[in-house]
Amino acid sequence: MAQTFILPSEDRPKVGTNASKQVRKKGLTPAVMYGHGEGSSSIAVNLLDLTKAVRQGVRVFDITLNGATQKTLLRALQWDAFGAEIVHADFYRVRADEKITLEVRVELRGVAPGIAAGGTLVQPIHSLSVECLVVAIPESIRVSVAELQLNQAIHVKDLQLPEGVKVKNDPDAIVVQISQKASEEEAPTGGLAAEQAEPEVIARAKGDEEEEAEKK
Amino acid sequence: MPQMPKRVKFRKSQRGKVRGKASRGNFVAFGEYGLQTLDGGWLTAEAIEAGRVTASHSMRGEGRLYIRVFPHKSVTSIPLETRMGKGKGEPEFWAAVLRPGMILFEIAGIPEGAARDVLARVAYKMPFKCRFVGRRPNV
Repeated sequence: MAQTFILPSEDRPKVGTNASKQVRKKGLTPAVMYGHGEGSSSIAVNLLDLTKAVRQGVRVFDITLNGATQKTLLRALQWDAFGAEIVHADFYRVRADEKITLEVRVELRGVAPGIAAGGTLVQPIHSLSVECLVVAIPESIRVSVAELQLNQAIHVKDLQLPEGVKVKNDPDAIVVQISQKASEEEAPTGGLAAEQAEPEVIARAKGDEEEEAEKK
Repeated sequence: MPQMPKRVKFRKSQRGKVRGKASRGNFVAFGEYGLQTLDGGWLTAEAIEAGRVTASHSMRGEGRLYIRVFPHKSVTSIPLETRMGKGKGEPEFWAAVLRPGMILFEIAGIPEGAARDVLARVAYKMPFKCRFVGRRPNV
């Protein structure tokens, strides 16, 4: 079960790029809180606290603003170009007894015997879209690969989910599989081999050239 | 073998400029760990191939490698001791245009320690400063 994190916040009266830059200089992150019929409020939260909570996998935040506490779900994060720092956060107001849809990461458990038999573990899905109560958000969906043999796969429909959690992904989608190892020197697909000196030039149709000449 | 496009609309392109930081292709999307460039510029098809060969050798067939960049740009040059004029040179090599923050390679299916070793070797082959990155937290 995902934990709740108490995050103090302050009002952010000025919005926009320059005002947000000033907020970031103070060690705060601009954020917005919306949902449940109430208007959206621009707030600022401590960057270190938010980053720490996000890295721990916290999804539900109790945001204190002007003495009042509101239960919110972290709905979106914006990162800088290098993915090192959070530049903005979206908080969505929720009730504890409300059903919500959110992405939950997939956590693989165990060592697949298929790897020892010469296979490679491939995980096409790293997170699942799940529907659950706010109070019952799972930290992760645990998938045991301890019995996964070569050329076997675990589909979404095969997953053992915590109580009250419903997956919205395609039931036939593959979450994890053990496939044959690719040969070591296999060339990447796409593109042209160097033997062929130059790529083919897409020739223009004759009609197009005539039309262009007419325009001129 | 170095990659290049199969079909192009024009054989030669203008040089262009690399402005700003990456706003796309700047997070690990397919694998678990990635190699991120901290500088911008041209990454030649040969350098991408060198990285691929290094990674596949050091992974010894384990895990899976994703190449996130492709050399779409042809770079021309004129022969030595050529007089001025006579038009643009012939295509010499192909390159990927990179902005700071772009992910070059991704790895999946091997432990973090092994992935760090592999990508450190790959980074040694790259003409840019690079760093090891993991997946962003889910939201």
